[in-house]
Formats: sequence, structure tokens, C-alpha cells
Amino acid sequence: MTMRRIVVVGNGIAGLTACDSLRSAGFDGELTVVGAEPHHPYSRPALSKALLHGDDALQAHQLPEPTHDATELLGVSATGLDPDARLVRLDEGGELPYDGLVIASGSRARRLSSGQGGVGQGAGGPGAGGPQRDGFPRELTLRTIEDAVLLKERVAARPSVIVIGGGPLGMEVASGCLHMGCEVTLVSDVKPLSRQLGGHLADIFTSAAVRRGLRVVGGGQARLVDHGTGTRVVLAEGTELHADLVVTAVGDEPNIEWLAGSDLLTDGALRVDSRGRVRPEIVAAGDVAFFPTLRGVQRVPLWTSAIDQAKVAAVGLLQGDAAPEFNFQPYFWTEGFGVSLKAVGFMPVAGEPDFCEPGTGNDSLLLRWDNVVGSGTAAAVNYRIPVPKLRRLADEGPAALRPAAPARAEPARA
Amino acid sequence: MRIELDRPRCEGHGLCEEAAPTLMHLDDDGELVIDVPEVDGADLDAAKAAVRVCPVAALRLAAA
Ligand SMILES: Cc1cc2nc3c(=O)[nH]c(=O)nc-3n(C[C@H](O)[C@H](O)[C@H](O)COP(=O)(O)OP(=O)(O)OC[C@H]3O[C@@H](n4cnc5c(N)ncnc54)[C@H](O)[C@@H]3O)c2cc1C
Ligand code: SF4
Repeated sequence: MTMRRIVVVGNGIAGLTACDSLRSAGFDGELTVVGAEPHHPYSRPALSKALLHGDDALQAHQLPEPTHDATELLGVSATGLDPDARLVRLDEGGELPYDGLVIASGSRARRLSSGQGGVGQGAGGPGAGGPQRDGFPRELTLRTIEDAVLLKERVAARPSVIVIGGGPLGMEVASGCLHMGCEVTLVSDVKPLSRQLGGHLADIFTSAAVRRGLRVVGGGQARLVDHGTGTRVVLAEGTELHADLVVTAVGDEPNIEWLAGSDLLTDGALRVDSRGRVRPEIVAAGDVAFFPTLRGVQRVPLWTSAIDQAKVAAVGLLQGDAAPEFNFQPYFWTEGFGVSLKAVGFMPVAGEPDFCEPGTGNDSLLLRWDNVVGSGTAAAVNYRIPVPKLRRLADEGPAALRPAAPARAEPARA
Repeated sequence: MRIELDRPRCEGHGLCEEAAPTLMHLDDDGELVIDVPEVDGADLDAAKAAVRVCPVAALRLAAA
């Protein structure tokens, strides 16, 4: 069946990239994007970095306006899907028929207090991951631009802050709050970043953080208890911590509620094949999707992962089995406490690096680990290196760093 | 259209280079070099893709 109408649900970077890629692959039919957030796509990574560490103009997150010529229904959520009738139901009433569907509804911040209220109803749009409502424990999360603006406002008064969650987001938030002059305590059940990066890289960040004044508290399953002024954090073994402001960064939850009853979910998860397909006429990409990787079927809720998945899914939708399969090449970066990291290859990495070369700057390092499966993992710590070169280091090992003997005068770039 | 770089913003991720390797590249110091600033036709699509992937929005397309 020829595709005349394609509907994209979700207006984040995955939805945007899917629209662009559909157009570049030649789709000139009717394209409609349904997006819960009333904005064009913006950069979430910037929210916890440039935006929180400064940038008073609040611009670091802005992306250029879309040019894919789709009908954009912004501030509108999909509330249901009928895959047999090929209809997407909308919260404003009405239905959108489609020949092809792209599911790019992303994820939202998981909240520690979500058991206590009605958050988590689908959209993940403005408000859903946002400010506390009356009677809720004072827990802030960071997912949307509105969250970022609110957090920035609150932090400007230099409250004492507890950040719960030792992943990249929690660490970036902690770094931003410290930078703004707050006293910050980070609560993490394991050594911060060790689960995501492995012990070696985690140590580099954690020691820089502690040097800059971060207090790190281990403490199992933290709970929030609301009381008159501010929030108390109760740790597993009963210790209580107090602060003016509590920010949680305890992971994300895919926005799949609108797919309930559609038959598309397997064990509560949206899974796609190596071409991004859930069914021939339905693809999914970005934070919402579980996809096959060398390390098994998983969600990889990261920026370049969302972009690369969306490119594959767009072509998968138009060309089916003739489309190329996804060859997932992980790229990750984070920064905080004066340390910046770029890494290519699967993480976390176990043990000490197999290769280590200091750079010229302070604490500047280039590292590589051999992996059991697939190519290696290469990491640049405070080390300026083109990412394609970092990728070659990951793939080919240290030999890739040495200039090939003869002429290096800009060969034709592949 | 013209590709413009806000140099202080660029963090050298090089995602733009991966999207449009014929139009720009990072030099050995990790500084982005725009090899083909004026773009149209097929180059324009590549340029747009490059501009979009930059997570710090350091690239822009402006009317030539
Ligand atoms: C603060 C922060 C910092 C980050 N930093 C990094 C980083 O340094 N490096 C990195 O690689 N990644 C980082 N990430 C992760 C990265 O931003 C995400 O992986 C990426 O934005 C995912 O894009 P997406 O389009 O899949 O999902 P989303 O960006 O979540 O977009 C989905 C969109 O769909 C909308 N939507 C949801 N449900 C519906 C519905 N039913 N109907 C209509 N619309 C709906 C949502 O409101 C949202 O706008 C960070 C994330 C955050 C929050
Ligand atoms: S993607 Fe953005 S930050 Fe990265 S090199 Fe290109 S312009 Fe610079």
C-alpha cells in the first residue's frame, strides 16, 4: 500500500528527525506531527548543562525551526491508537487516520512521589514532569524547558539542595546547583555514575565533584516525606536529610499509556525490530522504544540514539525490508564539576582502561577499553578530539591515532 | 543559504560532521571548520540535518 498520510506522535528530536528523514527519503505526502508540548523541538541535553550553569538568555536549548512542512498540532496529545482502523485519537477530540505511523512519544521523568498523585498520565508534556502540585512533596524533576526555568528560578535564591539520583542527570543538576552557589547533597545508592560509566570514569567525576564541595551520601531507596516547610528525605536505613529544595533524577519512564489496549506492547514495552518497525506500517524511535543492540534489546534514552533510531525508522516505514538495518553506535557525553566527557562505544566499561594517554590540558586524558563484544570504548576526558577520530580509536585501537605515514593533507573525506 | 557557526557555543561534538561530512569537519584540535558555507540543492538537506543534530544549537542556516 502506498503511504499518503503519515502521522508522527511526539515532537521531540526523534519526531523531528523522523519528519526530516521521511522528506529526505522522498515522502511528499501528508505529514502530521502531534506534540504534547506547545513548542517546537528543543535540545534537552542543554537544559542541565549550559542552561543550568549560566546562559541567562535561556537560548542554549533552542534549535532551528523545522522545515519539513508537516502540519504541526502542538499542545495536543494522542490519547489512543486503533491499529486495525489505523486511527490516532486526540485529546482535543477527533481522530487522525494514517497509512503510516511514527511513535516518538519519548519518556518523562520518573518521580519518587508518583505513587502519591496523578502524575504520569501519558503526555509527559508541560506539567506532567513539572512542578509540584498542592499537597505533593516538593520534588522537582528536570525534563522540559518549563522544568528548567522553574529549577533555575528556585536555585537563584541559593537554597540548600538535595539531589537524589547519581546518574548523569543528577550529577549535572548537582554541578549546576553548586555552580550557582548552593550547598548541595547528592543521594545515590551506588557510587555516582558507576552504573552508567563504570568505576574508572565514575571516580574521575566523583573526585572532581567532592573537591568542588559536593556532599555525597549513599543510602539505598530514598523516600520523600512532605512536611510544612520543605521536604525531608528519608534514607533506607532511616537517616533523615533536610533541604530547602529536593530535585530527583531517578530515571525516565516511556510515554506509552496512550498505546494501552492497542496490542502493540509486549510485557508493557514497545519493541521494534532492527529497522525500527513494530508492524509494517508502524515504526517507533527515541526514548520510547526498545531496540536490538549488541548488548541485547534495550532502551537507550540518549540524544544521538534518538536521532539515529529516527533516521532508520523513517526509511524502515517507507521501504520495509529493503531499508538498511540499524547499526547502533553509542555516543555519550556529559559534563559537570569542570570535567567534560565524550565517549564512543558501549558503556559502562569494566576495570581500568587498556590504553591511557594524557593530553596537554589539566586532567586531560584519552582512554580506551577493549570490549568482549563488538569494538572498544573510547573516552575523552577534558580532551578536545573530533568525535569521528574518537570513533576510530574505539574501533581500531590506538594505532588509529598515529598519522598514517604519507601525506596527511586532507584526503577526500569519506 | 549560508551555514553559520556560533563558535563559542560549539563543544566539538562533531555530530554535525557525521551528518554532513562533505560540508564541515573538525580539525585535529577539535575546532569545527565549515568547508562549504554556501549551500543549496542536495547540500542544503545535508546542512539542515547537520544543524538539527547539534545538541547545543551552535549552527544556524541564514539567508545567503
Ligand atoms: C535534562 C536532560 C539532559 C540530557 N542530557 C543528555 C546528554 O547529555 N546526552 C544525551 O545523549 N542525552 C541526554 N538527554 C537525553 C535526551 O535528551 C533524550 O534521549 C532525547 O531528547 C529523546 O528524544 P525523544 O524525541 O525520543 O523524546 P522526547 O524528547 O521525550 O520527546 C517526546 C515528545 O513527545 C511528546 N509526547 C509524549 N506523549 C505524547 C502523546 N501521547 N501525544 C503527543 N505527544 C506526546 C512529549 O511531550 C515530548 O515533547 C538528556 C535529557 C534530559 C531531560
Ligand atoms: S555538532 Fe554542534 S557542538 Fe558539535 S561540532 Fe558541530 S557545531 Fe560544534
